[in-house]
Amino acid sequence: MIEWIESVLALTLQVGTVYLLASLGEIYAERSGILNLGLEGIMIMGAASSFIFTLAYGHLAAITVSIIVGVLMSLILALMAVYMRLNQTVAGLALTMLGLGLSGFLASPEVRKVILLALNPSLPEKFLAIQEAPKLPEIPVPTLSEIPVIGCFFRQNALVYFSYAAAPLMWFILFKTRPGLSLRSVGENPAAADAMGVSVFKVRCVATMVSGGFAGLAGAYLFLGFQPFWQEGLTAGKGFIALSLVILSTWNPLRALLGAYLFGGVEVIQYRLQLFGLGALSPYLLAMLPYLVAIAALVAVSIGSVRKRIGAPASLGIPYSREE
Amino acid sequence: MKSGKISRREFLGVARNVAIAGVVAAGAVGALAGYLGGSSAAPPRTVTTTRTVAGAAQTITATKTVTQTVAGAAELLKVGYVYVGPVGDYGWSYGHDRGRRWADEHFGLPVKSFYRESVPEAEVGSAIETLMDEGAKLIFTTSFGYMDATAEYAEKYPDHYFVHISGYRSGAAGNAPENMSAAFAEFYQLYYLNGLAAGAMTETGVVGYVGAYPIPEVVRHINAFVLGANYAYKERTGKNIKAHVNWIFKWVGPDDARKAAIALIEEKNCDVLAFTEDTPAVLQVAEEYQKKGRKVWSFSHYSDMRDYGPNAHLTGQIANWGPIYLDFYRMVATNSWIPVDIWARIGDYMPYRWRKPVEQSTAGQPEGVVYLAPLNPAIPSKWQLLIKQRYEEMKELLFEPFSVEGNLGEPIRDQNGEVRIKAGERADHDMLWSMDWFVEYIEEPLPKV
Repeated sequence: MIEWIESVLALTLQVGTVYLLASLGEIYAERSGILNLGLEGIMIMGAASSFIFTLAYGHLAAITVSIIVGVLMSLILALMAVYMRLNQTVAGLALTMLGLGLSGFLASPEVRKVILLALNPSLPEKFLAIQEAPKLPEIPVPTLSEIPVIGCFFRQNALVYFSYAAAPLMWFILFKTRPGLSLRSVGENPAAADAMGVSVFKVRCVATMVSGGFAGLAGAYLFLGFQPFWQEGLTAGKGFIALSLVILSTWNPLRALLGAYLFGGVEVIQYRLQLFGLGALSPYLLAMLPYLVAIAALVAVSIGSVRKRIGAPASLGIPYSREE
Repeated sequence: MKSGKISRREFLGVARNVAIAGVVAAGAVGALAGYLGGSSAAPPRTVTTTRTVAGAAQTITATKTVTQTVAGAAELLKVGYVYVGPVGDYGWSYGHDRGRRWADEHFGLPVKSFYRESVPEAEVGSAIETLMDEGAKLIFTTSFGYMDATAEYAEKYPDHYFVHISGYRSGAAGNAPENMSAAFAEFYQLYYLNGLAAGAMTETGVVGYVGAYPIPEVVRHINAFVLGANYAYKERTGKNIKAHVNWIFKWVGPDDARKAAIALIEEKNCDVLAFTEDTPAVLQVAEEYQKKGRKVWSFSHYSDMRDYGPNAHLTGQIANWGPIYLDFYRMVATNSWIPVDIWARIGDYMPYRWRKPVEQSTAGQPEGVVYLAPLNPAIPSKWQLLIKQRYEEMKELLFEPFSVEGNLGEPIRDQNGEVRIKAGERADHDMLWSMDWFVEYIEEPLPKV
């Protein structure tokens, strides 16, 4: 039994980290009043750049580039949503489509070959055609990784460890520090924050960039840390699951940690249940589980009283303009 | 469903006819190749083409003599392809695109081919229209869901030729216009050989399968794999194999395939995994376990995937659609179109289809339309020899996985214990194409969808 729990838990952590990283950044953007629906597109751009740059320069460069690409992508959204005050839903979805198309183009066999040769002309021939990259190595923590059951928390790769640290740190910054207070006030009442001397534009821009950076990192993790095979559209809706996770977590980084592992666990369990003969009863129902959880979360949040109690940012999705 | 069975004697008769027809066809193809390779100022001459379409139960041999006059340079043939996925998917559409390039290369006459990728099934009509606008005379549509629309366009444009992949409608079958043919590269024989390798290698006696959808095509591949695994494992140990199937309900889903594969390994102790999913994800998972010191094996699917699991790769099934396409190029270029329903298996589209001695076996080398991926030297030589022997025998259809010979002389039973194939019987095309039962060695029931 202990072995079984460990086996399920180890994979749950790996699956959940994708959602955790993506939703941590998104929480910051939404807390500042910006709905970043471009998450999916930014994630896949992160995955594509991590693929190409790992082949050319290795893991560290690849992860750095993925974060930079994520930040650059989110700047497009910041420009449209913060400065031009466009509809955030439309702008975000446009970003998603841009990311899906552009990543497919840049990582397609012929274009990828040209990019790889431009980045590193001495690259071996084999790397020009292959569609995988070396996976991030597992780094077991001595002694801790040998504890039964929870040992699997300490047999993961560097990005999973980073996500353990990032969740409490981001919670601390958001709720216990002055910049965090400014960020939340901008999302609640930008006019009041502005009157208090907080630069609404600047805060919203930074928050959007944080969400972009984390989404790029989530894409890099999905590819390098979980399933290292490049596939057009490989994020397959994970960005949207992360978006619903943000609501489920009530814009709280620590609850996002739990929610991410809940979503990850549902996905892992569905393939175990099939082997107990349960999948044959209604396979589509099992495949639906993660989305059912997401819908339940969305419904709960849409109820007004619940919304007030859990503290949804009051100005989420509303552009701010000083003249009004 | 079980109608159309033939006895072994009758079958051998058919096989002999096929062999004879094969020789005739080879001669004709040789003559045609010589003709096509000739100078562009070739004098008028008569060409005889013979086509052989062989199934286990039905053999159709059509011979057509075409007299044609070729004067001056040959006309440029334009060919259009419609793909359901991106050409970079490494699985299905990538395989078709490789076939397209192969056919262009080997045609020997001026040809221009172009494609539309990632075409949703509802939009195949407009894709066909744009290909025809570019001048395509011959059009290949490469997804099951394109079938009805392809038949519709074949009706509408009788001066164009259409080939649909993986469906059952064609002029030959009588349920589509004469200018529409059907073709498919069939893998179940190769899955059986993979199964032999699996049964030879497994230490736990448990094998797994990551399946895409519970449809007849995938079900017969799973059954063939499990029958092969049981054959080798039972011969080795006297015990029956245990098999588990995990469905992902996707054709392309590398991260789902990963979760399903890990569940099979860690939950049920499977140490050989076969799969129907268009990426090497399952092989990558097996390779990761190999690197951690646990022996887990997997296979290639559609393309040679050895690079993705150099240690874990046992063998696998590979398709080269090129020869099928090339055949249609030639038919259109020589105005010798006959509607056909091609079901390409081992031995088809090879220069000749009689078997070789085991020592000279071509198993593991590219040939024909479907062939075996290179065999891992880790497979004990006794079993490598059996795999090669069966591969050679299947070229002449002397061996059939879905027969008692494929199951150590035992009748093939389903999960309820009902005998599905008894001594002297072989599964025919109809039975394979509508297979909706699992062999007895599989533990999970088949999902009803």
